[in-house]
Amino acid sequence: MAEMILEVSHLTVCRAGSTVVDDVSFNLEAESDTALVGPNGAGKSTLVQAILGVLPRRSGQVRVLGHALGARGQLPAAVRDQVAYLPQSIALRGRFPLTVAEFVGLGWERAGLALPWRGGLARRAAVALALAKVGGEALADQLVSDLSTGQLKRVLLAFCVVRPRRLLVLDEAQAGLDAQAAEQFHGLLFDLRRSEGWTILQVSHDLDMVRRTCSGVLCINRSLRCSGTPDHALSPAQLEHLYGRGWVSYHHHHPGASRS
Amino acid sequence: MLDSGLDPAHLAQLLSLPFMQRALVAGLLTGLLGGVLGSVAVLRQLSFFSDALGHSALLGISLGILLGLNPTLVLIPFAVLFALGVNQLAGRSQLPTDALLNIVYSSSLALAVLLLSRVRSYKGGIQQLLFGDILGVSWLDLGVILLLLLAAGGYLLLTRRSQILLTIDEPLAISRGVAAGWHRMVFIVVLAVVVAISIKAVGVLLISAFVVIPACASRLVSRSFGTYVLVAALLGAGCAVVGLLASGLFDLPSGPSVVVVQLLGFLLALLLAPLSRLARP
Repeated sequence: MAEMILEVSHLTVCRAGSTVVDDVSFNLEAESDTALVGPNGAGKSTLVQAILGVLPRRSGQVRVLGHALGARGQLPAAVRDQVAYLPQSIALRGRFPLTVAEFVGLGWERAGLALPWRGGLARRAAVALALAKVGGEALADQLVSDLSTGQLKRVLLAFCVVRPRRLLVLDEAQAGLDAQAAEQFHGLLFDLRRSEGWTILQVSHDLDMVRRTCSGVLCINRSLRCSGTPDHALSPAQLEHLYGRGWVSYHHHHPGASRS
Repeated sequence: MLDSGLDPAHLAQLLSLPFMQRALVAGLLTGLLGGVLGSVAVLRQLSFFSDALGHSALLGISLGILLGLNPTLVLIPFAVLFALGVNQLAGRSQLPTDALLNIVYSSSLALAVLLLSRVRSYKGGIQQLLFGDILGVSWLDLGVILLLLLAAGGYLLLTRRSQILLTIDEPLAISRGVAAGWHRMVFIVVLAVVVAISIKAVGVLLISAFVVIPACASRLVSRSFGTYVLVAALLGAGCAVVGLLASGLFDLPSGPSVVVVQLLGFLLALLLAPLSRLARP
């Protein structure tokens, strides 16, 4: 039996008094790549943030690498180290005097109190390797606030890859990227998933990409509407059920796309 | 009394005065403290918080005078309560924080002036409260500021990772195991205590300059986080010492002299900012 990296059971999340995620249950096996799809406002980002302990949950259980997520989002530090989150975007206002190398170094550091110079050489080597893995060596001395959207995504990926992780959670990684940059980013993510042995949970709007690269799909619209392989979960009938009739007829020439 | 003007004998005479020595050390320590704490506060959009706290502190001081207590003793608990209250209010209310701060500080100021108007004996000292009395700082005050500098510096050094991550993006910080609510609250309380302690030297009107100006000047020219905090601290300390010497030499009010020197530093940073971009590797 495959190892379970993430187990979510009967998860319900409320925001501002209304139920945004309703009784959602699913499991992620080791090294699977699962897409979370659904219309805008369906609660995808909320679900992801509740799993990470960023947002509080109303009820239900979340287990990460076999460890239960505490009521206020606590996880043992050793488990936290193995989970990385790539947000939709980070909003830096004005000049932010932090270099890319310093930022990636923060991803290498563990939770808790520590003096800034702890790690020294090991940290520097890990940061250089992480930047090399994402093709961002040239960015090391730039300020994070000077990066383009595409560069920032690479740097965030370096922040994730700087330490060995088991679970990577991405919230609309392709947001803000043009078609070519999105394609490059997904190529990079796909390669890293294989070489690093990551289990991925990603919120996505790009159904073509999901069909080509993901091993599983969770269709969310407040509750879990369907799940399974992309061929099954993204069939025209399921999509109509999830998004409504008009949307499906517009996109229905895609369903046969092959998976790589 | 002293002569006025810039000549070495005059400077030596000035430096031999115990109250001037204490003032210079107080300026140095307050400048360092403001620079270090300010570098995080400015990135976290807390500039206005220190200003509002400074103004509201007048209410704390007035209460102290009314109750016949040492103003500094009243000021620290007042500042901590103010910080906790604003933190709670900003978290729960749907209003923007700057508007909330404005409401809190203008009403505190109004109450303070009403209270002070009832205390006839204190009317003469209002100037000192507004602009500080750095020449009246005692060795005990210096000890307190030094302890505070060590505590705040140690706290920021040890929690540096959490502080930076929280400033970049809160969900990202929480996903890395940072206790966001706790760190947010502790930082704001530390900032409040620093502002409260520094008020005696700098005054309620100009205290926020110590937090904001050196950090902003440093933000314009620094090319890494390490240099950013260091430059902010050195700039804070340097401007304070230069400003105090200038105030002694030319017989000018001390607090405003320091702030004008800080302003000159900031203008210099504005001029240097394009150069630092050109120097990009």
